[in-house]
Parts: sequence; structure tokens; C-alpha cells
Amino acid sequence: MAELEPGLKIDLTNGEKLKILKEIGRGGQGIVYLSEYQGHNYALKWYTQKYSDDFYNNLKENIQHGAPSKAFLWPLMLTTKQNGSFGYAMELRKKDFFEFGDYLLAKVKFQSISAMIEAALQICDGFYHLHLRGFSYQDINDGNFFINPHTGDVLICDNDNVTAQGQNTGILGKARYMASEIIAGQKPDKYSDYFSLAVILFMLFYGNHPFEGKKVVSCPCMTEENERKHFGSEAIFILDKNDRTNLPVRGVHHNVIRRWPLFTKVLQDAFIEAFSQDLIKNPTQRMMESKWEKIIRQVRNQLVVCSSCENETFAGSDFVSTCINCGRPVEVKYRLHTNDHGILALTPKKIVLLGKIKEPVAVVRVSKKNAEILAMQNLAQAKWIVETPDGKLKDINPTEFLPLEKGLKIYFTQHEKGEII
Amino acid sequence: MGILDSAPVPRRTMVLFFIVDTSGSMTGSKIGAVNQAIREVLPMLDEISANNADAEIKIALLEFSSGCRWIYDEPKTASEFRWQDREASGLTDLGEACIELGRKLSRDTFMKTDTGAFAPVLILLTDGEPTDDFPGGLKKLKENRWYKAAIKIAIAIGNDANEELIKEFTGNMEAVVEVHNIEALKKLIRTVSVTASQIGSQSSTVGNKDKQGQVVEQLKKDVEETEGAYSAAKPAPDPNDDWD
Repeated sequence: MAELEPGLKIDLTNGEKLKILKEIGRGGQGIVYLSEYQGHNYALKWYTQKYSDDFYNNLKENIQHGAPSKAFLWPLMLTTKQNGSFGYAMELRKKDFFEFGDYLLAKVKFQSISAMIEAALQICDGFYHLHLRGFSYQDINDGNFFINPHTGDVLICDNDNVTAQGQNTGILGKARYMASEIIAGQKPDKYSDYFSLAVILFMLFYGNHPFEGKKVVSCPCMTEENERKHFGSEAIFILDKNDRTNLPVRGVHHNVIRRWPLFTKVLQDAFIEAFSQDLIKNPTQRMMESKWEKIIRQVRNQLVVCSSCENETFAGSDFVSTCINCGRPVEVKYRLHTNDHGILALTPKKIVLLGKIKEPVAVVRVSKKNAEILAMQNLAQAKWIVETPDGKLKDINPTEFLPLEKGLKIYFTQHEKGEII
Repeated sequence: MGILDSAPVPRRTMVLFFIVDTSGSMTGSKIGAVNQAIREVLPMLDEISANNADAEIKIALLEFSSGCRWIYDEPKTASEFRWQDREASGLTDLGEACIELGRKLSRDTFMKTDTGAFAPVLILLTDGEPTDDFPGGLKKLKENRWYKAAIKIAIAIGNDANEELIKEFTGNMEAVVEVHNIEALKKLIRTVSVTASQIGSQSSTVGNKDKQGQVVEQLKKDVEETEGAYSAAKPAPDPNDDWD
């Protein structure tokens, strides 16, 4: 199958033409070219492997349906079949986005835990919308995500294998990221996506693979047969509560050994459940994105800034937690008990984020006059209404401060309310 | 070290073995093409390795003529590997090379890693008839489990290569490609090394062809697109060698 020369004009199915500018990448499936269409630049993925008519037609349908959410680098335009192959155009990857593999290889790192949490939430939200549409992604792996290390914004790429739930175009992905039933030969679906999603989330937070512990590194030659065993039929979570045969190895699995005890228990419990033998083997019981989002938002609720070292740390449900960086105590005097999003620790510099709303609702500050007094500044566009313990109501307009006091009820919006406890 | 500073994920190692004929018949343009092609492919392998979270690629090279020698005493990453042009002279002791390869395909030597390995890739380049006990050497090699699991490809250079014998090394004719000119030889060394390394150094796909099958499939396409290259399963109808 011919590669495309710069300057070549390629016919699109909409009757227009797209001009090839230069090659910008290549992989196992094909080549990606920088291209131009009606004065704008696009990435054109051009297949060098042979794909079926079903694959082509599925791509056409996906383009008609449009992207499930803004997180997807979704196919926008399809080429006709020409030069022995075909391809599709999509938006270019934005600046400051790096492949997930670059994070795994420690070439790039998250600039904050909040960016890491945001990335995890956006990945869940992307797949939530994809599944809501009745699609499944099929081959989630480390090559499918671009992430901004400062903001945690995510772009999900390689969406050409996305098909309607229950169908499959023959693409099955990589064994390290696949659910055991797919490794055993079943067709991928949303339940196998849930499994791969959990693997990606684990690697994002802990920087190691959830099934690569002692048992797996001591396998001298990871043949295809051994992969099917260690990631499929005999997969054991490295931190499984009941089976200690595949624990992380000191000197090899540095990241998970360091981070597992430091990140909150909420997250530990979630992964222990997600990778329990029960959920590995029972696809329909697996944790859906909405459950993951809820858990990750609880982690976010506990994320605070240490007043001693100024680094991010977690304030757990105990009254006094210890900073994960400097080891000094983190005192939490006030908490916000929300109606829908659990309990947030309110410590100085805490940015209050509620649910799916991306913009912060509030930030906690120390009074300039009295360091003992904490106040919450309204960062939202609209006023809050606050009810004091004796039932009086008052407005807190945008940018105004509310000194914290136990028993205050805050009506952030029509749907979001909370009480200081 | 901050909580967000990570160590790179532990990767498996995938060793790419070149087993190169440097016998007298390789003199001239053949060994020249091998020298150039391997030197040129090293940075490509380095790039594949650098962007691969599944495995790190290392390279080992065994040359055989009268006897055989490893170019370095251990597999090296593509970035460490320094190419020194090989010269050709002597006999074609492929049998001895098989025995030596089997010796190093072992956890005690070349396959020693802290984090395990993927099955290796073995690429044999030869232009002639073995002059020693090749069947005996190969028989011994075939007992080696690393060899059994390996992706195996052979490039038979010119009319004099004995493809029937070379097939014994790869296991089937589809994995043997014959090349009849310099450009085809250089191109095939490059594409076979890149394809086999890409596929060999990744977690496997499931349900599809196995890794060897995927490499062979790509090899077929490369052969179709290369003038002077043929699959040994469908050899050149009228081979017309173009060597100096």
C-alpha cells in the first residue's frame, strides 16, 4: 500500500479534497500525515494495513454520529478508497499534550496531584459518554491518551475501532490491558472496556501495572502463551488482599510501593475491589465509570495543601492527618458536608470543586487580620445564599468571603448545597 | 523526591539477534550493504524502544565465517550499540553459529534481566551453503526454549543461498525472503528489523495471528513492494543476481 507524497490531494467522501503536507507519525496500523482542508490543518490517519469493508463502513458511521464528548480526537472526515487504502481526518493533537506512554516512561510527569485527578476524571467521563451512546472502545491501552500535565486535560485518540456495543471489527488490542474473557477469545464490549479502564487508572495513579508483580517479573520469557496466562486466566492483582503471590517487587516496582500507602484509602479500596478475582471473572459486576468518578471525586475532596510544606497532600477522615511529603500533621478544623459529593476538607488554599463542574466554586483562605479565622471565597459566577445556625439568611456575592463557622448551610446553586461541620 | 516524580515503569527486554554471514562469498557489495543497513537501522530501533512502555529493545550480533564471534559480550541497547564495519572472509560455519546462539539464549547469559523478557527476534542473513555440520548445530539449537519461542526470519542473499536449509532455521518458507540486489537487501534488513522489533517488543494482540504470523504477513507486503525481493515460498522465476 502506497505511502502518500507531500502535495498529493486526497479525495474525501464529501466530494472535497484534502492536501497532504508531511508525515508526522507512524505506527503498526498506518501513517499520520499533517494535512490541509479549507485553510485548516488536520491529522490524516492513513492505513498501511489492510482493513475490511466493515471497518470502513463502521468508520463512516462513527463520523456521522460525531464525537461522544470534547475529550475525543474523533474521526471527522473519511477519504474515499484510493492508492490502495483509505484514511480519516481528525483534529491535530493540541500543544502541551503528551502520550500516556511518556508518563509511564517518566519522560513527563504530572505537575500536581490535582492535574492527575482531573486526568482520571476526564478519562472516566470520556468513556462514560462513549458507552452512553451505545459504543464500546474495544482496545483501550497506553497508546490511546494524550494528557496535559499541567491541567490534566485529556484527549482520547485512535477512535477508529469504536463500534456499537456487541460488534467488533476484528481489533482486539494489547494483552496487558485486556480483560481476561477477551484474552480467552470473547468479543470486547463495554464490560471489557471497564476492565481496561481500571488498568489505565491504576497505572495513572500508581505508575505500575496492576498485574505485574513478583509472579509476572519472574516469568523469564513472556511468550504469547504466558501473557494469556498472567494477564488473563491467572491474573492476580499485585495488592490482592487474599493472594500474596504477586506482590510488587522492591527495586522494580518503585512507584506503586511508594504511592500505594500515601494515596488515600478510598482509592486503595476501589482498586482492591476492581481487581478482586470476583470482578476480574465477572464482567457484568465491574465498576462503571460513574462509580469511578464518584470515588475519584472523593479523593479530590480529601486533597488539600499542607500548611507546613505547601505541597498537596490528603486529609483523611481522621481529625488529624499527616502530610505525605513532610510528615507534619495537617489539621482540619472545618469540613464541608455536601448533599451529593461527600465531605470536603476545608483547609487553607483548598480549592472547592463540586461534581462535574470544572470551575472551582470556592477557595479557602486565612484571614489577614486573624490567622485563626478561615474564610471561603466565592469563585462562582453567581451568589450563594448562606443560612446561619439560627436560621438567618444572607448573600455571599462572587469574590466575597464567608468566614467559616460550624453549622453554616450554604446554597451554592439550586442543586448544590452543603453544611460546614 | 516528590510524590509525582516517578521511576520509569519496569520494562521487559526484547533482544534482537542478527546472525550475519561474513564468509568469503559475502565480500564486496553484500557485506557493504549489510554494514550500511544495520548502521542505519540502529537509530530507528532506538526510537521504537524509547517510545515503548512494554519493552526495551536490545541488540546482539553474531557473525559467522570460519567459526563465529559475538560483536559484543552482551546485548546492548540501540543507543549504546556502536557499529563497526564487518569484513568478509573464510568459510560458512552456520552450524557452529547455531550452537553458539543456543549457548547464549539462556537466562545465565544474554537473556538475563531483572524484569523478564519477551521472546527474542532472530534474523539470519546468509548467502551460501553452510560448510560445517549445520543440521547437527541446528538440532541442538532447536532444543532451546528461547529459540522455540522466538520470532525467526531469514534473508537469503543471492542465488547460492540454500533456502531449503535456511527454512530449517525459521521453521517455514514464508519466513525466508530471498533478495537479488543491493537495494533489496538493504531495504529488507531495515524493514524486517523494524517490523520484527515493533511486534516482538509489544504486549501481544489476541485472537489475531501470533507474533511470528504478524511479522510474516508484513514481510509479504514488503517483499511485494521491493524489486528483487521474493518470498522463498514463491521464489524468483528467473533469478538474475546483481552483485559485484
